[in-house]
Amino acid sequence: MRTRRRVVTSGPGASAKRRPTVRRFKSAIVPATHRAPAFPTNAAGNRATPAPDRTPGHATATSTAGSPDREIDLAVDLGRGLRLENPILVASGTFGYGIEYGDVVDIQRLGAICCKGTTLRPRVGNPTPRVTETPGGMLNSIGLQNPGVDAVIEKYAGTWSGWRVPVIVNVAGESIADYVEVARRLDGVPGVAGIELNISCPNVGKGGIQFAIDAEAAGAVTAAVRRATDLPLLVKVSPNVADVRPIARAIADAGADALTAINTLSGIAVAADRQKPLLGNIYGGLSGPAVKPVALRIVYEVSQVVDIPVVAIGGVTELADVLDYLAVGAVAVQVGTAIFADPTLPARLVDDLAAECRRRGLEDYRSLIGTALSKRAGAPSAKGVEYRP
Amino acid sequence: MRLAGAELLESREILPGQWLQTFRAPELVAGARAGQFVHVRTGDYSGLVLRRPFSFNTIDPVGGNLTIHFRTIGRGTEWFTRLRPGDRVDMLGPLGRPFEVDPRTRHVLLIAGGLGMAGVRALADEAIRDGRQVTLLFGGASARDVYPSSLLPDEVEYVVATDDGAVGHHGFVTELVPEYEAWADQAFACGPLPMLRALAGLAASRGRRLGVASLGRKRGAGRPIPAGSPQARRKAFLQVSMEQNMGCAVGACLGCVVMDTKGAPQRVCREGPVFASDELAWEGGW
Repeated sequence: MRTRRRVVTSGPGASAKRRPTVRRFKSAIVPATHRAPAFPTNAAGNRATPAPDRTPGHATATSTAGSPDREIDLAVDLGRGLRLENPILVASGTFGYGIEYGDVVDIQRLGAICCKGTTLRPRVGNPTPRVTETPGGMLNSIGLQNPGVDAVIEKYAGTWSGWRVPVIVNVAGESIADYVEVARRLDGVPGVAGIELNISCPNVGKGGIQFAIDAEAAGAVTAAVRRATDLPLLVKVSPNVADVRPIARAIADAGADALTAINTLSGIAVAADRQKPLLGNIYGGLSGPAVKPVALRIVYEVSQVVDIPVVAIGGVTELADVLDYLAVGAVAVQVGTAIFADPTLPARLVDDLAAECRRRGLEDYRSLIGTALSKRAGAPSAKGVEYRP
Repeated sequence: MRLAGAELLESREILPGQWLQTFRAPELVAGARAGQFVHVRTGDYSGLVLRRPFSFNTIDPVGGNLTIHFRTIGRGTEWFTRLRPGDRVDMLGPLGRPFEVDPRTRHVLLIAGGLGMAGVRALADEAIRDGRQVTLLFGGASARDVYPSSLLPDEVEYVVATDDGAVGHHGFVTELVPEYEAWADQAFACGPLPMLRALAGLAASRGRRLGVASLGRKRGAGRPIPAGSPQARRKAFLQVSMEQNMGCAVGACLGCVVMDTKGAPQRVCREGPVFASDELAWEGGW
């Protein structure tokens, strides 16, 4: 399938071959003793930058349970070797291309960065106003403004390849052919650690929402992209459906490595003069704390019907939200809208999660996962054990 | 760009529903210039999820103070009015690109519409400090909206227009501009979009009507000036400070764009808020 390599750089990372993807099972949490030898490079093919202190046995050798600065294992594997240092990601559309927050945020402490939605051709996006605050949340209708996949690769991939934090490129399109072509161009590009398929943007007429509301279409686009690339593949599901479970199942069956749940909820706001809808595009996507109960419900539902890792997103503003999402079966969370108010929040959540594990005397956070799921369904907290490669 | 705490020193209602607040924030004031802004977090974390952008209304680098000027238009701005001296807020700044005054400019024309005063107020201080003559044209709806002259430096010539004629010229502030545009070397404006659009039209036809040379024509003749660069603004007769609903204010979310003449969206928070008027598409856009 891969006949084209769009970007060939001669950096140190270019020659490093990506680990062949021959996993028999989908993985979730990687046991500490199995990780380090298995993943000498990150998924983007970069020779791992100064390896963080995660050699096997390190955590147990240097510390005892209860000591205040004990190293907690927060690593998570989202499949195909997309191994994150910790389960706190920043959500697509809220963090640009990872460079915008500059010195204010130490991005290398994040689990991963999901970049702005990227399409095959450049898009100018929707008319303004594009954002507005709503009670406990915000509406946005950016309309997938982006310079197109080739420009994204040219402008940012070189920078990303020098980072320790993996960058997952969020991909949107109007047709299966679009998605496939973008995935093909991203495949093998140093600095691109994975793809998050945005099949659920509510803000553009042909933004792919049609792929998110129909199980067959969702499976088809996932399968097509799966054939086009070896990159780790996340697929982001929409809450704007009656029942998300058949869609999630179709996506998992089509070969996605992980699910992201959820995209924004479709909504509108009215202008102050009450003469028209406020947003230039009329419709926008609701995000922020207001959507958390909906997102929790959907994570709760999908994590019980798929065997691939679920990455939760929706209104995370504090550690309690992270713990809630883990409890309903997510293995990682994305922080989005809250970054606008507090850019330092994601990095702080990493510390808070480690502190919580320490407080509870845990070596890692695996036992926090799936605790609120009905026991009959089988606790996904065991996923990391059951599916150990 | 820095993230820092700011302590409220003084808060007062200078006009009905309009507030002037002084904060002490030395880290943010250092290096800040007129036209830039701060993005301020409200303390109501549960309901108000976005920060609020405010122009630097005045900048006092010696004392480490800044002021912001706003109208209460919703829950966020009302939250700010309940702050008391000694309270601290979290500010991100300085953000955006500042006004650029050509070194040869002697006569500075400022045009403010309503709350647009907050956008150009700091430039009056900067221009006077640099020994320039400043005329400030202000337009408001009625007498209750007219910015108090006592809050302006003595050196500023202050000319007021009101829609109902209660104070000063009876009509729009844009009607005052022709009297001054021959005198002015450069003009800087902030206010409602229709006002800025009218001014951009006047600026575009100014050379033809007055037969004046535009600034910078002799210097670097023939060398292209990159759009959006400080030079492009410095050589423009009119610079405008734009307003849009804002999300992140650092260029990540692409919420606050305006269209330029080439059909490319420009971020108000990053490429702006100050643009040369001839860089922007004033009609339509999308």
